[in-house]
Amino acid sequence: MPRPVSPPASLARRLRTTRRAVLIGLLILGGLLMMAPFLWMITTSLKTRAEVFATPPTLFPVTAQWHNYPDMWNALPFGSFFLNSIKLATLNTIGQLISCSMAAFAFAALRFRFREPLFALLLVTLIIPFQVVLVPNFVLYRLLPHPFSSSGNWIGTQEPLWVGAFLGGAFGTFLLRQFFLAIPRELGDAARVDGANPWHIYRHIYLPLAKPALATLAIFTFMWTWNDLIDPIIYLRDIDSFTLTAGLSLFQGQYVGRWPLLMAGALVSVLPMIILFIVAQRHFVRGIALTGIKG
Amino acid sequence: MTRISRPAQRRGGGPLASEGRWALVFLAPTLLGLAVLSAGPILATMAISVTKWDLLTAPKFTGFDNYLALLSDDRFQKALRNTFFYTAVSVPIGLLIALGLALALNTKVRGIAFIRTAYFLPVVTSTIAIALVWQWIYSADSGLLNQVLGIFGIPSQKWLSDPTLVMPSIIAMSIWQGLGVNIIIFLAGLQAIPSELLDAASVDGAGSGARLRHVTLPLLTPSIFFTGVLSLIGSFQVFDQIFVLQKPRPTDASITVVYFIYENGFKFFKMGYASAASWVLFLIVAFFTAIYFWSQNRWVHYQ
Repeated sequence: MPRPVSPPASLARRLRTTRRAVLIGLLILGGLLMMAPFLWMITTSLKTRAEVFATPPTLFPVTAQWHNYPDMWNALPFGSFFLNSIKLATLNTIGQLISCSMAAFAFAALRFRFREPLFALLLVTLIIPFQVVLVPNFVLYRLLPHPFSSSGNWIGTQEPLWVGAFLGGAFGTFLLRQFFLAIPRELGDAARVDGANPWHIYRHIYLPLAKPALATLAIFTFMWTWNDLIDPIIYLRDIDSFTLTAGLSLFQGQYVGRWPLLMAGALVSVLPMIILFIVAQRHFVRGIALTGIKG
Repeated sequence: MTRISRPAQRRGGGPLASEGRWALVFLAPTLLGLAVLSAGPILATMAISVTKWDLLTAPKFTGFDNYLALLSDDRFQKALRNTFFYTAVSVPIGLLIALGLALALNTKVRGIAFIRTAYFLPVVTSTIAIALVWQWIYSADSGLLNQVLGIFGIPSQKWLSDPTLVMPSIIAMSIWQGLGVNIIIFLAGLQAIPSELLDAASVDGAGSGARLRHVTLPLLTPSIFFTGVLSLIGSFQVFDQIFVLQKPRPTDASITVVYFIYENGFKFFKMGYASAASWVLFLIVAFFTAIYFWSQNRWVHYQ
């Protein structure tokens, strides 16, 4: 017969396993609490208007009201909201990838006067609340002529929501510069001896090596643009130019109390981000851990 | 900032001068952006703030009138008070909860990645969509929260319109939404702590509480500092939640400084007044960020 383990040791181990189990249980409970608003969003979106106000509240609809989704989709031009969000998020992503990677290359691999003070200035803009420049930016876009706008200037067009993305950005430049600094200078120097100019070095050495960092920047830019609310509500006037966030805001005002439809709209608008997050979770987590910046 | 070793530089012409020209090419978009969209406009805000300007007629120089008017504007005082309250409550509570969760989530168990995802999800979803469901949860008639509290005999509350409840309700939602960012940063910090240090402490007889207090937490202070800065700056800019949950217009109990800027600039077209409020916000953020940075010598341990 095997001798039993001495009581204190087994007790300690059992205590440890119990504590671990309790901890995991609490974490799962907390996770459910974090998910609860999303679950509530889903089940509400499938209920009837009467079910929503039932007391006590029911968790699931008696029969799933799938028609809420087409009803929501047709209540406002959600199709064009969707396309506008995709268009603007894509343009912003392209603009940031190009302009930030160029600036980051200059700061990481080129020698020029005022490099350090210029980089410091860029970093300062990172901590300045963007609301501080809200008014002058609006004034600027109001001065720019626009051939197809009813106002004659950029107000009421989508241009203020993406053109700026092609003019660099502190976050993306900082992120990519950190990455570029880790690329051995010898790679560029060797290419230069062979007659390559900085553009070749940027295009054929730095950019291909920086793919993970570029992916992180792309995902973040896409997410920020997708979720941005204040710029669309300030600049867009015409419902056909609305993004999903501006469209949802309008929807909220027009369908007060129609929770199933509102929840269906909210769910459809967050779904692309949730899918993107699940597919690219690694990039999200690394980007946040690296820079800590979110929308 | 990382310093890179550079070879001895030649003054004057040669490769350096040509690199300068190349730098100008690569930096052209950024320089234009700095001039017209970020750094330049900061100065423009200052200039506009000393005028009275409705965009339709020419701006009129009014000196410090806008700033003096802010001092006696009751709604601006309320906006300041609400913003401070929001910051003072949401930042420390958000950090504490995230820290506790990160410590708990920092275990190697099967399926932990799946549990973590649940905590990260609110971060990637837009505040408007999130706020819509919370508006429904907080709804005074038949909202989930009132229904659940009703089971315990607690009477229904007007979570989003009662002046004393509205800010705490909005803060609770914001903490829920922001937890994921802080957890990710804390987890990265925790995983960077060398396990030899913790093992050595164990060998020396330190229990789990002592290890947490004397090894983990001190080594995590840079992460705590970092999340603190981000939360601090972010919380002074709170807008989306207010905009969505307080339609059509926040009362004095829930207006924040950024909403005040939005309202005056883009609803009432008082560009000078909105700019003055922007500058006050900028100074407040700069002041608190500076104090916070200054405090780091006292409590942040860099390895």
